[in-house]
Amino acid sequence: MKTPDIFYVEDDIDYAFFMQSAVQEVKDNLNLIIVDDGAEALQKLLDFAESKTKPKLILLDLNLPGLSGLDLLKFIREIPYLKTVPVILFSTSDNPEDVKASIEFGANAYLTKPDGYENLLKCVHSVHDFWFNQHLRLN
Amino acid sequence: MTKFSVDLNNCDKEPIHIPGKIQSHGFLVAVDKNSLLITYISENAGVFLSEQAKKLLNKELSLLNHFIKQHDVAFNIEDLLKLGIIRKSFDAISPHPVEINGLPFYLIISPSKNDWLLEFEPVTLQFDIQSSIGRSASSMLLGKSVSALLKGAAQEIKKLIQYDRIMVYKFLEDGHGEVVAEEKEAGLESFFGLHYPASDIPKQARALYKLNLTRLIADVNIADSPILTLKENEALDLTNGSLRAVSPIHIQYLKNMGVYSSFSISLISHGELWGLIACHNYSPKFIDYKAREGAKLIGQILSSALEYRQEEEDSKVIEQFKSTANVLLEHLNRDKYLIEAITSHKRTILDATKASGVAVIFENELKTIGNVPSEKDIRELSEWLKTNTGESLYYTHQFPEIYSPAKKYKSTASGILCCMLNKEIGEMIIWFKPEMITTVNWAGNPEKPVVSAENGLLNLSPRKSFEIWSQVVNNTSEKWLAEEITSVLRIREIIITHINKKANEIRLLNEKLQVAYEELDTFSYTISHDLRTPLTSIKTYAELLLKNKNIDENGQKMLSRILVGADKMNFLIKEILNLARVGRSEIISETVDMESLLQEIKGEVWSAFKADQTELVLGKLLSIKGDKTQIAQVFTNLIGNAVKYSAMVAKPKVEVTSYIDGGEVIYTVKDNGIGIDNRYYDRVFELFKRMDNVKEIEGTGVGLAIVKRIVEKHNGRVWFESKLNVGSTFFVAFKNR
Repeated sequence: MKTPDIFYVEDDIDYAFFMQSAVQEVKDNLNLIIVDDGAEALQKLLDFAESKTKPKLILLDLNLPGLSGLDLLKFIREIPYLKTVPVILFSTSDNPEDVKASIEFGANAYLTKPDGYENLLKCVHSVHDFWFNQHLRLN
Repeated sequence: MTKFSVDLNNCDKEPIHIPGKIQSHGFLVAVDKNSLLITYISENAGVFLSEQAKKLLNKELSLLNHFIKQHDVAFNIEDLLKLGIIRKSFDAISPHPVEINGLPFYLIISPSKNDWLLEFEPVTLQFDIQSSIGRSASSMLLGKSVSALLKGAAQEIKKLIQYDRIMVYKFLEDGHGEVVAEEKEAGLESFFGLHYPASDIPKQARALYKLNLTRLIADVNIADSPILTLKENEALDLTNGSLRAVSPIHIQYLKNMGVYSSFSISLISHGELWGLIACHNYSPKFIDYKAREGAKLIGQILSSALEYRQEEEDSKVIEQFKSTANVLLEHLNRDKYLIEAITSHKRTILDATKASGVAVIFENELKTIGNVPSEKDIRELSEWLKTNTGESLYYTHQFPEIYSPAKKYKSTASGILCCMLNKEIGEMIIWFKPEMITTVNWAGNPEKPVVSAENGLLNLSPRKSFEIWSQVVNNTSEKWLAEEITSVLRIREIIITHINKKANEIRLLNEKLQVAYEELDTFSYTISHDLRTPLTSIKTYAELLLKNKNIDENGQKMLSRILVGADKMNFLIKEILNLARVGRSEIISETVDMESLLQEIKGEVWSAFKADQTELVLGKLLSIKGDKTQIAQVFTNLIGNAVKYSAMVAKPKVEVTSYIDGGEVIYTVKDNGIGIDNRYYDRVFELFKRMDNVKEIEGTGVGLAIVKRIVEKHNGRVWFESKLNVGSTFFVAFKNR
């Protein structure tokens, strides 16, 4: 399996589409894997651990049917192989309770879904700059 | 036997049932109930029997047979007495006709304490009056009303006994009497309507009237005959006798009136002495026993007819009151407003009593029917009632005597009956009865029982003057009847039950409204929230499409319009979310430093509206107690509006200042902008309402609705003053505590 750059769990197919477009626009050779429900995401995560493929960044939508973003986050932090992968919680909600819970469960960042494509583009730019360029430099 | 010296001060203690004398038109013999020996005999028996009365004392009763001739010789006087004793009644025996010295007499037997009374009196009536009594009774009963009945009774009695004057005398509550019907010979002065003081007929006389229903005083000028006995210390009780001698006081009284003979018949209603039929004759006139018995019978028929007629008249009134209560109950159930229900229909609250006016004070409204005092007087009166009377009923027929301000409207309200509905807030119904300036005509001055001494020998004298002495009764209305009180209590129950029911309905409605309001908030919150996601998608797709180089200029334009529409909608949804949040959120109260808050808001608003040319003048900025976030929302909206709606004038200026007024801190936000048309004053704070003159200016019509909701949640007030093209000033008042 080709190592994904970004693993994105998102049930809103529209938003998944926008993310795909935005990521490509930012850097067209970034490898993005998107799954649209918690159970499938769980299976994928187990596959990653099995095959020793480590995504560079995991993006989790907070509100997912079945398993939530927070549930997945807890799960990731319990898999030794994936423990160190940066995870960003991604949600329409700006509820402080959600933010607090995410950070407590070990999220690296909490992002409110930007409004509109231009804003999303800006957001993905920043994420890319930080987690792929600056982050790497830091390492 | 001790002699009782009677005068006007002690005549109510005079033992009139044991006078020791009899009227001398007949004679009396009393025999011991056990031995049947003669124990008492009137001195004048000797005159009738031609034998010294004294000699008969302690002799056998049978001795009398020597003096008396009976129709049936075999039937002697002891047998007659024994027959009565066995029958336990002398009704069938009395009167027993006998002959003494060739003259016809009646023997009338009645019981005393230890003795039998045997009274002999002359027979004067030559014919049987039985049939005429029947006719009298039926013509009397033709009277349908109580007063007609009384008048009829007086007429019939007059025919029967042929006296000069027949009066029906009624005892009133305080014991004094009034002549309520009269039949008299022409030429006699009328006593109709006269009042007699209670002392005229003393207590013990009334007691005797109840026991012995007729009383004849045959001739005031004939000397009484003493009763002889060997039992010196035991007076003979003459309660049941008909010859009983009369009190000297009473004899004097009759003499003063010029009356020679007097006869009375007791009227008993519900076991009480209702009154008397008092008959006067201005010359001596004996009435035959049978005529007296006939008169007694008419009196008894009248008594029961009185009871019946009075009850009939009372029950008519009660029925009337009851039906009023039912009618009002129906109106209350049908009508929306209580006052209307009980005052505006054909049958009103006034019909619950016999009052001539009524005032209803309810929910700060005053409604009156009929004759009532002025509104101002009623308001004052209700205040007095509120503080001086109890929780339910208060009534008097002499109100001006109790509450002197009522003197000025005593002609309409000498009597009041107040039914308190809610004492705390002074809700009540007051009925009014007018003053009855009644002139009571007294038979002699009731306050001076002794006018003058009749002669030098007597240190006692009954009323001599019989002139009419009149007394005007002021500040007094007709009394409130027991039926009226019952009726008002019934109505009160109905109204209070109704009020409670209504209050309960309102409370339930309020609860439902509360729930609905909360549901609406949740609904708006959810719907706004859920609308945002698809809206974001629409916007984003439009943005993505705009990047597509293949789309021509026309397509690009349309996509831009989609973006503008989506942005507008997004903003609107955000505002509704904000409004819904106000309803859902709890107020976290703190003291808000307005100085720094307003500076923050200024930065936010001025950059949002790019309002660099607008001047902000801050005056006194008192701190407010409330929820900081929500207060910030209020001022952001108000100042934002001020900036927005003054942006187009030459020198836009926004002024914010505050002051204390009573228990409130009042903030004003003033601008010199386009102003608001006052015709739409009430609609300014409505959701989604925007005025005609601001169509060109961006806005949602939610801002002021949010302001109003926040201020109301803080128990504050918000209002404004405005003039078109001059500017607006918004006022926000917060409770200062």
